[in-house]
Amino acid sequence: MSAVISTIKLHLNQRRVTFIAPLSIAGTVAIISVLISLVFWRAGSQPGSAGWIQGSQSNPGIVYALVGFLIYAGVASVATTFPFALTLGATRRAFIAGTLLWDAITAAYIAIIFAVLNVIELATHHWGVGFYIFDIYVLGAGNTPRLLLIVFLGVLSALTIGGVFAAAWVRFGIRGPQVIAVGVIFVLGIAAIAIVPDAAAIIAAFQLWWLAIAAGVVIMVSSIGMWLLVRRAIVR
Amino acid sequence: MTSTVDIHSMTRRFGRSTAIDDISLTVAGGSICGLLGRNGAGKTTIMSIIAGQDRPTSGSVEVFGERPFENESILSKISFVRDNQRYPDNYRLHHVLRIAPDFAPEWSDDVAGELADEFRIPTQTPIKKFSRGQLSSVAIVLGLASRAPVTLFDEPYLGLDVTARVRFHDTLLRDYAIHPRTVLLSTHLIEESEALFDRVVIVDRGRIRVDSDSEHTGQLAFTLSGPSDAIDRLSAKRTILHSRSVSGLKSVTIQGLADADTSAEAVRLGARIAPATLPELVAAFGADTPETRDIKKGAVA
Repeated sequence: MSAVISTIKLHLNQRRVTFIAPLSIAGTVAIISVLISLVFWRAGSQPGSAGWIQGSQSNPGIVYALVGFLIYAGVASVATTFPFALTLGATRRAFIAGTLLWDAITAAYIAIIFAVLNVIELATHHWGVGFYIFDIYVLGAGNTPRLLLIVFLGVLSALTIGGVFAAAWVRFGIRGPQVIAVGVIFVLGIAAIAIVPDAAAIIAAFQLWWLAIAAGVVIMVSSIGMWLLVRRAIVR
Repeated sequence: MTSTVDIHSMTRRFGRSTAIDDISLTVAGGSICGLLGRNGAGKTTIMSIIAGQDRPTSGSVEVFGERPFENESILSKISFVRDNQRYPDNYRLHHVLRIAPDFAPEWSDDVAGELADEFRIPTQTPIKKFSRGQLSSVAIVLGLASRAPVTLFDEPYLGLDVTARVRFHDTLLRDYAIHPRTVLLSTHLIEESEALFDRVVIVDRGRIRVDSDSEHTGQLAFTLSGPSDAIDRLSAKRTILHSRSVSGLKSVTIQGLADADTSAEAVRLGARIAPATLPELVAAFGADTPETRDIKKGAVA
């Protein structure tokens, strides 16, 4: 069997991490969101009112909660899995290819689940009582194709960012992630200095697809970084 | 026998530290080779390079005639679980047993199941909470059940109880007889493992000090013990590998084979003379004695 396929199976070996944990985190956040909505309801806010909808759709809690887990999963997919993959006989090339494919599978899985739940949420008029879990601004405000793209790119970005930091650790120890973090801060700082004079015009001209391009760049840079860092990494 | 592993003038440096210093070694197919030496001698580094987990700074390593680094077909024929092996977070035994066959074409579920039972490896406890002996048990299961043509055991006995060690020996020999392979085994429990080896390689400070068939190791050195003055007389002009003195008594390990004259002289002076055991040989070559010279394959010092 191809070592790439075997590496994907290695990542999928802990099915709970790939398939259950993201849903349980999302479910927990959904329950918390519902409880918060109930508090507002009891405080006098009316489901279906403009203020209710505006407030509910502005809650990005589900995204924040998942991002932390997904970055951890990205780190774990390289930091602790890489030494074991080499022990089993995977090449570095196959490991990175398999890991990136697993990243994509996980991103597609979560995106599809979210899209299905978004469709159900819309079809049931927000679960029959006006609760907004997936129909929120940060996930496309109910636009299912947009949600699919946002969640897929977002999850893939988080996993590959975690992966590249872990790859730096595997290759250079604790200094690796530190250098990447400093480098990212430096680049963002230079970019901020360059664009601040035109910030107002840029914000006015902002298009949503810019974020998709940015996510694509992050995913590509992180993936290439993972490969460059791991291809000569050794296990000690 | 054709060679399975060929190492030629291999050096491995980590920064300013030289872990492996210009070694050459061939390991024949279908043999069990003991890789012996002190902590930090370079045993794990040698195995790691053979397994493609590391690369030499200079020189070459070939397994079945090809370089193992990033070589998928060769790596599928090698099993190497290092003594400090890390496992993915939250892994339990069943995760290991489920994924290992995907990478090991010759994997035996029967051997894996039998050993897991015999070693009493916990099934519900995360591997990261395993004791040292339980971690060694998992490594042995991976190594033996893979039936890899080149199987490398790195300190497989660490923390293992005596029953488990015996079980490991029995299973290794039984399965090896049915499915011959090349085994390289590093250990500090030399007396227990000695009977397994048909070849012995002693490493110290990154260099191979002894490379010999196991049946000839008794001819590589001998020990003398007795009154200090008698030992000094008997060992004069000989290469002393290791020396110990305690209040007028002395014990030395001397490189080479004791001839009849030396034996007779030892008896006459009240000294005890005996071939060096393998543990004594390893201890002697690991001692900080500058005058020792290397003993290459097939040589009788």
